[in-house]
Amino acid sequence: MDMKVAKKLGLKERYTMMTRDLAWDTTYQPMDKVFPQVTYEGIKIHDWDKWEDPFRLTMDAYWKYQAEKERKLYAILDAFNQNNGHLSVTDARYINVLKLFLGSTPPLELMAGRGFSMVGRQMVGAGPRVACMMQAVDEYRHCQTQIHSISNYNKFYSGLSEFAHQQSRMWYLADGKSFFDDAITAGPFEFMVAIGFAFEYVLTNILFVPFISGAAYNGDMAAMTVGFSAQSDEARHMTLGLECIKFMLEQDPDNLPIVQRWIDKWTWRGTRKLASVGMMMDYMLPKRIMSFKEAWEIYFEENGGALFKDLARYGVTVPKCFPQTIEEKEHITHQSWIGFYMKPDAMSFHTWSPSPEELDWLSEKYPNTFDKYYRPVYEHWAKMEKAGKRFNNKTQPMNCQVCVTTVKYNEPGDPMTTCFRESIYKGEKYHFCSDHCKEIFEHEPEKYIQTFITSHQVLQGKCEPEGVDTDAPDFKPGSHMMEYWRLDPDVQGDFNGSLDQKNFAAWRELATKN
Amino acid sequence: MSHELTIEPLGRTIEVEEGQTILDASLRAGIYLPHACGQGYCATCKVTITDGEVDHGSASNFALMDYEREEGKTLACCATLEADTVIEADIEIDEDARDIPVRDFHGTVSRIENLTPTIKGIWLRLNNGEVLDFQAGQYINLNLPGDIGARAFSLANPPSTGNEIELNIRIVPGGRGTGWIHESLKVGDKLSLSGPYGRFFTHKSAGLPSLFMAGGSGLSSPRSMVLELLEEASTLPITLVYGARNQAELYYHQEFLDLAAKHPNFTYVPALSDEPTDSGWSGFRGFVHEAAKAHFDNDFRGNKAYLCGPPVMIEACISALMQGRLFERDIYTEKFFSAADAQQVRSPLFKRV
Repeated sequence: MDMKVAKKLGLKERYTMMTRDLAWDTTYQPMDKVFPQVTYEGIKIHDWDKWEDPFRLTMDAYWKYQAEKERKLYAILDAFNQNNGHLSVTDARYINVLKLFLGSTPPLELMAGRGFSMVGRQMVGAGPRVACMMQAVDEYRHCQTQIHSISNYNKFYSGLSEFAHQQSRMWYLADGKSFFDDAITAGPFEFMVAIGFAFEYVLTNILFVPFISGAAYNGDMAAMTVGFSAQSDEARHMTLGLECIKFMLEQDPDNLPIVQRWIDKWTWRGTRKLASVGMMMDYMLPKRIMSFKEAWEIYFEENGGALFKDLARYGVTVPKCFPQTIEEKEHITHQSWIGFYMKPDAMSFHTWSPSPEELDWLSEKYPNTFDKYYRPVYEHWAKMEKAGKRFNNKTQPMNCQVCVTTVKYNEPGDPMTTCFRESIYKGEKYHFCSDHCKEIFEHEPEKYIQTFITSHQVLQGKCEPEGVDTDAPDFKPGSHMMEYWRLDPDVQGDFNGSLDQKNFAAWRELATKN
Repeated sequence: MSHELTIEPLGRTIEVEEGQTILDASLRAGIYLPHACGQGYCATCKVTITDGEVDHGSASNFALMDYEREEGKTLACCATLEADTVIEADIEIDEDARDIPVRDFHGTVSRIENLTPTIKGIWLRLNNGEVLDFQAGQYINLNLPGDIGARAFSLANPPSTGNEIELNIRIVPGGRGTGWIHESLKVGDKLSLSGPYGRFFTHKSAGLPSLFMAGGSGLSSPRSMVLELLEEASTLPITLVYGARNQAELYYHQEFLDLAAKHPNFTYVPALSDEPTDSGWSGFRGFVHEAAKAHFDNDFRGNKAYLCGPPVMIEACISALMQGRLFERDIYTEKFFSAADAQQVRSPLFKRV
C-alpha cells in the first residue's frame, strides 16, 4: 500500500492555511457591497494580497496562549488580594492613580475592542481581518483584567465603584472618551491610524511607564502583573498599526496626503490625552520612576523620531505638532495638576500639594520652568492650606470642542498666557485649546459640533440626575452635580484628612503591629 | 564555550558564543529573525527548539508561558545556548539563496592595476586551479599579513571566472588594511582568503528587470551581477546607474559603454556629482538617486533594485525608490543587520532596508 507522508508545514504555510486560506470572495453579493466602508475615506487599495502579516499567529495558538495567561494572572491577583496586598503599596496616595486609571483606561480598552471588531469586519483582506479580531479580543481582555485587578481596592477605598457611570459624565474623563469616540466614528483606515498607529505605536510606551513601572515601584503587584500580561500583546498591536500605514502608503500615491493628515491629527490628539498620564508620573506616584519630560524625550522624541525618519522615505513628514509638544513637555504636567488640584469637590480621586521634597524633585527635573512658573503657585497654595483656606475653584471649566480637555494650556512661546482659540461655524462659536485642535475642527466641523461636553451642556440642563424637572420654574442648572456624577462624598476634598488616608494608616498599623 | 545553532527552515548553521543570545548571533550572521522589544516582554521573537538545549534567560513569564517552555518554545532575544541547537523560526525562505559553504583558499597576486587615483584592481589566481564558487554580489574575507587581520571585499568578477578573482579596493585614508594593499602589495605575493559571504545576490527567480545603483567602489558587486546576467544571456532589462565624483574616479566606464552598445537590454547611466563644469562631460551631473529618478521618470515599479555604496547614497536611493513606488520587498542592499538593530535604534518599520 502506498502511503504519502505529508511534509511538515513551515510556520508560514501553517499560518496561511489557518488564516488567508479560510477566506473567500463572495459570489451572491459583490465584494464592494459586502465591504462597503473601505472606500469612502478616499484610501485606494488595489491589491489586498500585498498586505504583509506582521505577526503570524493562528487562532488556535492564540486561544491557548491567552487562556494560559489568564490562569497565571488570576492566580497572582488572588494571592495579592488574599494577602491584603493593597496595604503593601508605598502610600495611600498611590491609590488615587488607580482611581484615575480605572475611570480613564478600562472603558477605553472596551472602546478599542469594539473598534477593532467593527474595523475587522470591514477589512477585505483576511490577514488584517484576523489581526483585528485578535486585537479586539485582547482589548476586551485588557478591559476586564484591569477592572478585576482594581476591584479589590474597591472593597477598601472610595471613588472606585462608579467608574463606568462616570466615564461619559465626568469632565476630566471626557478627553479619553472623546479620543475613542472620534476614532470609532471615523472610517476603518482612520481608526487604524488613530488607535493602531498613534495610540499603540507612538504613545503606548509612555502609557506603560506609570502603569507598569509605576505599579512595580509602588508595590502594586496586581496592577503590575496586569500590565505585563497586556504588554505581551502590545508588540502585535504596534506592528498591526505600522503595517497598515505601510500598506496604505504603498498601495497608491494618492493615499499619502490622507495618511499625513491623520498622522498629524492623531499624534496631536494623543499628545493631549497624555497630559494626565504625565501628571500621574510627576505628581501622583509616591515613588517616581522618571519625569514625564524624560519619558517624552526617550519614547516620543527619540523612538518616535526614528520612526518618522523611516516614514520620510514614503514622503511622510514629521507631525505638525512635533515642535509644540517639545515646548510643552516642560509645562503640561504642572498645568494639569494645578487644574486638578483646584477642583477638590468635583473629582473621583484626591489631590494634594506636593511636599517640599517633591517640589525639589520637580525643580531638579524641570530646571527651565518649574521654579520660574509653577513652584510659586504651589507655595502660595500651601500657605492658603495652612491658613485653613485650601484653594477650591467652584466655577465650571471651559473645554476644547475637539480634544475636550479643559482649556488650560499656555500660548505657544508664552507660558504666562492661556491659549484660547475659537471658530465660528453656522453662526455658533466653538472654543479650542490650540491651533491644532482648531484645525482638526475646521476640517470636519459637522463631526465635532456634536461633541457632548458636560461642563457646557450642564448649563442647558442636560446634566441632571433622573427625576429632576428641568422645566420647573425654580430649576437651577448644575445644582445636582454630585448625584449626576454619583460622586462618593468620601472622595471629595484634599487627600490630607481623607478617609482613605486615615483607613490606610490604621489598617497598616494593624497589619504590621500587635 | 560556543555552540552551533542551526536555523530552520533556512538550514543555515551559525556559531553562537557563550552568553550570546540567539537573536544577536542571528542578526550578526545576516539572518533576520522577527523581533521587537529585545528584552523578553513582547514575544515577537518566539521560536521553536527542535533539538538541543537553551537557557531562557530573562524571558517574561507572560511572553513565554510555562507550557510553551515545556513545548520547546523560547524567546530568541533572551535565549542562550547550552548545547548545539536547532530552531525553527518564522522566516522567509529565499529561493535565490544558494547557501554556498564558506571555504578557505590560497592564491597569488597575478595583476595589479590603478583603476582610479584612489582605487586599485587586485587580481588573485587561486592555487591548484581551485575555483571559488559564489553568487554574484557576495564578498570574501582577505587575510592580510602580520596583525592587520582580515578585511572584507566584494568580488568584482563574475562567478564564471572563479579561478582568478578580482577585488576593487579604495584606499581608506589612515586605514591599515587598504594602506598596506595600496602601498606594499605586489604581483607574485601570496594571500589566503575565505568565502563566499553575504546575502546580497541577484533575485533571478522573480523574473523582473534589474536596476543596479552603485556609488564609488560599491561598483564591485553590481559589476559582477551585471556581467553574470549578460553572460547568461538574460533578455530582461538591466540598468546600471553608477555614480562617482568626477571622470577620474569613474572606472570601467568604457567597458560599460561597450556592453551597452552590444546588449540592447543593458542600459548604462553614469552620473558625476563633482565634475568641473567646463570638462565637456555630457552625461548626467548629480547624485545616483537623482540620475535614476530622471532616467526612470520617477516610476520604478516592476523592478528589482540592488544598492551598493556609501550609507548616505543608500539612504538617498531608498527614499527615491520608495517615492517612485518601489518598496522594501523589491529593494536589496549590501547592508546587513548588526547588533545595533537589536538595540532598537531604528524603528521597526522596515526589516531589511
